[in-house]
Amino acid sequence: MIQISNVSKIYPKKIQALKDISLHIKPGEFVSIVGQSGSGKSTLVKLMIAEERPDSGKIVIGGWDITGIKGQEIPTLRRQLGVIFQDFKLLPKKTVFENVAFAMQVCGFKPKEINKTVDQILALVGLKGKEDRYPHQLSGGEQQRVAIARSLVHKPKLLVGDEPTGNLDSINTREIIDLLKKINNMGTTVVLVTHNREVVNSLKNRVITLDSGYIISDQANGRYLL
Amino acid sequence: MHSILRIFKFAFQGFFRNFWLSLVTITMMLMAVLSVTLLMGMDYIREVTIKGVENKVDVLVEMKLEADREQVESLVNDLDELSEVKVVDIITPEENWQMFLENNKDSEATQVLEVFEEDENPFPYFLAIQAYELDQYPKILEFINQEKYSAFVQSSDADTHEQVINKINDLANFVNKYSWYITGLFVLISIVVIFNTIRMSIYTRQSEITIMKLVGASNWVVRTPFVIESVLYSLAAVLIVMVIIYPLLNFIQPSLNTYFDGIQAVNIAKYFKDNYLQIFGTQFLGLALINMISTSLAVRKYLKV
Ligand SMILES: Nc1ncnc2c1ncn2[C@@H]1O[C@H](COP(=O)(O)OP(=O)(O)O)[C@@H](O)[C@H]1O
Ligand SMILES: [Mg+2]
Repeated sequence: MIQISNVSKIYPKKIQALKDISLHIKPGEFVSIVGQSGSGKSTLVKLMIAEERPDSGKIVIGGWDITGIKGQEIPTLRRQLGVIFQDFKLLPKKTVFENVAFAMQVCGFKPKEINKTVDQILALVGLKGKEDRYPHQLSGGEQQRVAIARSLVHKPKLLVGDEPTGNLDSINTREIIDLLKKINNMGTTVVLVTHNREVVNSLKNRVITLDSGYIISDQANGRYLL
Repeated sequence: MHSILRIFKFAFQGFFRNFWLSLVTITMMLMAVLSVTLLMGMDYIREVTIKGVENKVDVLVEMKLEADREQVESLVNDLDELSEVKVVDIITPEENWQMFLENNKDSEATQVLEVFEEDENPFPYFLAIQAYELDQYPKILEFINQEKYSAFVQSSDADTHEQVINKINDLANFVNKYSWYITGLFVLISIVVIFNTIRMSIYTRQSEITIMKLVGASNWVVRTPFVIESVLYSLAAVLIVMVIIYPLLNFIQPSLNTYFDGIQAVNIAKYFKDNYLQIFGTQFLGLALINMISTSLAVRKYLKV
């Protein structure tokens, strides 16, 4: 699903965020990426969604070599992935329904199909009845569910989360992780960047640990090391 | 088809759901449109006033005392042939007599006329000549001062006439020119203000643009609603100015009437009614164009995600 080979990323002012990273994630896996603040986790996510380009190495997502992806191809890539963030990144002036529908509208789906799919997915993430609320009228956990719902409308093969529970209390964190597990069980590959020791340890899945831009450990059935 | 409708829907949502931001943006544009409109109004008043002065200008040509009606009329006919001449009025000796009496109603001067017999008249014929443009007078005077008319035309003092006319002409040109500079300056300032207003408003919504891009929207889908929204701002600003300006003009029209007191028909309210399409249509198009360009440029900065 994800094939990263010898990737380095250098930001302006010679800040080297990633150093010679190689990793392979197979379809259907649930992988946690951990590491201290500034270790390069977000940079890795940004490379996967083509928000940044690597300075060297090669990135292949779902069989597509996106190393030198062109600007106008990026929307196509993003429609094949789901991404969720710590700060949810919802459109503040759109309702729950519209936020989710937007991801389908930009692809030119018909209104009828959009209504049907969005209803289904909002039910799946447990937001039935809150379609007409604006993001600021929802709790953090609910906002993250909207973001997850939005990332699911394209039925992505890969869902990437950059500390999606970073702003949530432990109950909401639990619920979001359970939701991600459910999505993973339905066949979607999940890459979860997280800081949360309990989450990582309870998942009992593969854990990749980053430190200052290097992968220092990659264990199946791993634990939170740091 | 529905993707086009969607784009418009997004534009209207952006417009109404960012109500306060839209209001601030529209207010700035409204100021610009209002000042340009007022400037256009001033321009109209300037133009009519100058036209009025120009229309008041004519040249009086004195005939010799011995010139008879026939000779005067033949000169008038010749003058009418000239393309520069707008009207020629004959002022007869009798009219001159009457005018003299009227102008000196309360003075002794009228007694001077008592020495003349009934059929004697010390006043000659005069011609009042009006040209279409101020700079045509020298040509007309030159025409009159030809040798063949010298028998019955009291040589008219072309130089003095010319000086006065040139002064008026210079003044008119000067005012016209500077009013263009001022209008140009206003438009320029307006463009800068509008450009920056748009940049600020897009800046406050940059995360929206980033998010749209992150969920797979193409640049076109992100940009177009913003561009349409900016056209809506233009429309709102121009419409609001129209709503403000007409009552305002009706309100000031009476004072203009008093000020110009029949000397000059300055009907600004009518002018704005007759030319509303030119005045506000042009401004809407101009504003919309500036807005579309500013918006495209401002949005482009945040599309590179
Ligand atoms: N846009 C950027 N420009 C310059 N340096 C950056 C940028 N983004 C991240 N960095 C730097 O790259 C390193 C890795 O950052 P990041 O990937 O955000 O780490 P993490 O998500 O693990 O906290 C840090 O030193 C950070 O300061
Ligand atoms: Mg991070």
